[in-house]
Amino acid sequence: MESKYFNYSNIKWGAMFNTQTRKAIKWLLPGAMALMFGMSSNAFAVPADPVKTELLDKGKQVYYKRCVWCHGVEGGGDGPAADRLFTRPRNFIQGTFKIRFTDSGELPREQDLIDTVKNGLPGSAMPAWGEFLKEDEIIAVVQFVKTLVQDRDFNDADEEVAIQDFGSNPWNTTGPHHLGIPQEAIDQGKEVFLKNKCFECHGGEGRGDGNPTMKDDWGFPIVAADWQQCWNFRGSRRDPYNPFNIVRTVSTGLNGTPMPNFKDQITVEDRWKLAAFVNSLCPRKNIDKLTNKPVPDFLISSEYTEGKVAETIDDPMWQSTDHDPKFIPRSEETKDNPRWNYIAMAGQITRGKRNFDPKVDNLWVASRWSAEDNAVYYLLEYHLRFLSTNPEYPDAVAMQWPAHLQDLFGAEKPYFIFGDSKKPVDVWQANFLAKDYNPTAPPKPDGYQLDVKVHEYNGNGFDALKDKETAPTVQVVDSIFKQGRVKVLIKRSLQTENKETDVQIPSEQFIPVSFMQWAGQDKEKDEHMAISTWYYTILKPALPQSLYYMPPIMAVVFFTFQGWLVWMTKRTRKMYDEGKVKRDIIPK
Amino acid sequence: MNKTFISFILFVGGLLVFHYGIFPIFMPKEPTLFLNRYVCFLLMAAYLIIVNLTLRLKPPISLNALMVWCLGFYFYKFVLFPPVPWTLFITYMMLWSIGTFLYISQDAETFREFRKPIVKVIVGEYKLARLVIFALLPFLVGFGTYTAIYPKFEEPVELRTVHPAPPATTKVHGKSYVLETARNPFRIDEQDNYQDKFPFLDADKYPYMKNVTEGGTVFFQNCHYCHGDQLNGLGMFSHVFNPTPANFIDPGTIAMLRESFLFWRVSKGGPGLPNESTPWSSAMPPWEEHLNTEEIWKVILFEYWYTGWHPRTFDTEESYVGQWEKEGKPAGAH
Repeated sequence: MESKYFNYSNIKWGAMFNTQTRKAIKWLLPGAMALMFGMSSNAFAVPADPVKTELLDKGKQVYYKRCVWCHGVEGGGDGPAADRLFTRPRNFIQGTFKIRFTDSGELPREQDLIDTVKNGLPGSAMPAWGEFLKEDEIIAVVQFVKTLVQDRDFNDADEEVAIQDFGSNPWNTTGPHHLGIPQEAIDQGKEVFLKNKCFECHGGEGRGDGNPTMKDDWGFPIVAADWQQCWNFRGSRRDPYNPFNIVRTVSTGLNGTPMPNFKDQITVEDRWKLAAFVNSLCPRKNIDKLTNKPVPDFLISSEYTEGKVAETIDDPMWQSTDHDPKFIPRSEETKDNPRWNYIAMAGQITRGKRNFDPKVDNLWVASRWSAEDNAVYYLLEYHLRFLSTNPEYPDAVAMQWPAHLQDLFGAEKPYFIFGDSKKPVDVWQANFLAKDYNPTAPPKPDGYQLDVKVHEYNGNGFDALKDKETAPTVQVVDSIFKQGRVKVLIKRSLQTENKETDVQIPSEQFIPVSFMQWAGQDKEKDEHMAISTWYYTILKPALPQSLYYMPPIMAVVFFTFQGWLVWMTKRTRKMYDEGKVKRDIIPK
Repeated sequence: MNKTFISFILFVGGLLVFHYGIFPIFMPKEPTLFLNRYVCFLLMAAYLIIVNLTLRLKPPISLNALMVWCLGFYFYKFVLFPPVPWTLFITYMMLWSIGTFLYISQDAETFREFRKPIVKVIVGEYKLARLVIFALLPFLVGFGTYTAIYPKFEEPVELRTVHPAPPATTKVHGKSYVLETARNPFRIDEQDNYQDKFPFLDADKYPYMKNVTEGGTVFFQNCHYCHGDQLNGLGMFSHVFNPTPANFIDPGTIAMLRESFLFWRVSKGGPGLPNESTPWSSAMPPWEEHLNTEEIWKVILFEYWYTGWHPRTFDTEESYVGQWEKEGKPAGAH
């Protein structure tokens, strides 16, 4: 096969070299010529990294112990776990790898595969193996995975890969949060975003809500990345806020998915600006190094509000960014607004009909209460790419409370999935369908109004739910579905008439609360849902009046004390001097 | 006075140099016999003693006391590792302050010397010092009052027992098991013989590997969401739940438990826990609802094979529960 690259006179020489040297010559020659003629290119082509056969035994050992369960005996992505995963495990047979430095459709570099094994693919079931396997085991298993590729051959001299040039971070920002990118660059990045129509798949505000009909190369459904949850980017390499990851993905595309590369449409400089824009959308939160997700905000403070609480989501009272104010301070107008709390969600995989592939990963919750209103408000927000249009399976989100707070002793709570026989829960569920909604319609900047029905019920176990027969007490005062985000504003009076079934909400007390969510398009219903664990909420009291007069009083008291101390000390000195008292002798 | 000032400057300067310049050098990833934080602290103390002795600064007792107290504060705050909780820190500092006070009040002479600068400030011999201190302290008191009154609400701390005492017997799928005598029916051979064998590929060759393969299949269809592909409790849903899922790699979980204990925990799940283990928030399913008895035993077999741990066994006649209650944890645990 090599003969076609070496003319007759070279054959003797060719036989003397091993394959690798020959390959090097083959690739060095054109490279050198390109240099000589001053040709410039963004990428340079080299042969794919061949398989290191001496490591295959060890690689096989690792693969069949650690990887086979998802990726399957032959690497077809069909291990026993596969059918219960979304996204499905990678099928190696075609040699299709997502995260690469190489051009679209090409095989990855060896280092790309090593980095993927080390860092995992966040947002999927693929964990980071870097701290679990030893370096040599990782390199070995990568060699073995290469041999599982059947349709292509890493050893084939024809398999050339063009390693892309990504430039470097023009703003020299550093992790973990990569702050300090100028707003100008972000705005220019938005222009790039609009010009290249990224919204067609990723949605108008980047929540991945553009196209509900996408399929991957194997015909399985696939969704576009939600840019506002960058910790779930497959290629985030456990460094979610680093714009480099986005430059890489935009330059190389994601093989096997509808994501193309944009290396010819967008210059490297503009790709960095686009990355700055995409990254600016992702809330800066404290990311847990072990789980690679934001640390949940386990205490939801309900802010005391003077007068009445606004009942529209657009009101300034309910405006904020999702950023942790520690990292990006809030604007002057929203400074006193409640914190947007991150609530982690997972599929309900404990009882009854289990949900292995929830569509929603987290909720954002903010709360206010007002003594004048005698009511508490919770604004629930979550990202959902597409809503249901089927009235039989509406979308829904719920808050779950212990129905009888007074019966709970210490840390005791009802069972977190619809309570238990001894400790009932009170569930406030908002079921809704969007009005005039069609998932395939282009993004609608004003969003869709929701047709909400509140359903209140008690639970004594997931199989013992009972609708309340008393008058409804929970209201959804405002709601909207806009650019892939649902917002529901719930209101309830602090006390109700029916103390048997309704939770009575005291102020200044830690109250357990948890959240549930159902995605109608996935036919989620009843216990087939996404769920959170128990969180706490507390109705914070108004700032006490004493806060304004006690500190000055204490300061004045202390100042008086100082004066007294001076007077006493001087008097004692005088007594020493006059000889009335002797030093260090206690007077009788 | 001048010498005192030099001594004070050397103290503050030395502290800064050690803290920002030298301390990081003594904190390599892998501390050695000499390159560790405690040696650095000893060097810092030695520096203070040597510099004061060689320069014959003879600092007054009040400055000595200040230096001793600060060194203690620095040690408990920055050097001691792992860091102690603040309640313990306050206790330590209280003891340290009492010790410092004992040192200055060892006799009337030293105590008077210690008091001297303080009295001079109060009566106004150091005018500037009195002005600054007497103006600043009321402000601090006011500020302290403000922070004390300002309502703060921090998430309540919840404690739970990780490995509760198991019951004597458990009933799964209509059959009663005595935990003390129950054995894994699929542990048909010595586990170590199969560490290098392949699941799936060797399943037909070795009955043991068939059981491991079937157990692994159950694990990766049901358990990995929480306990993780690496069995380290970091599955894709693990960050959601509190308590966090058990880490089987850790020597404190399955490595110190008997297989029958696991059988009980797996079968009965969160709802089967006693109150001290917060059954209301455990996401562990009662697996008897989803798996049959054989699958439960096989998945336990798989967990030991994958992690390389061996289940605990007891040679003595003593009852498992009895042992537990006497020692708080199983005898010989890591």
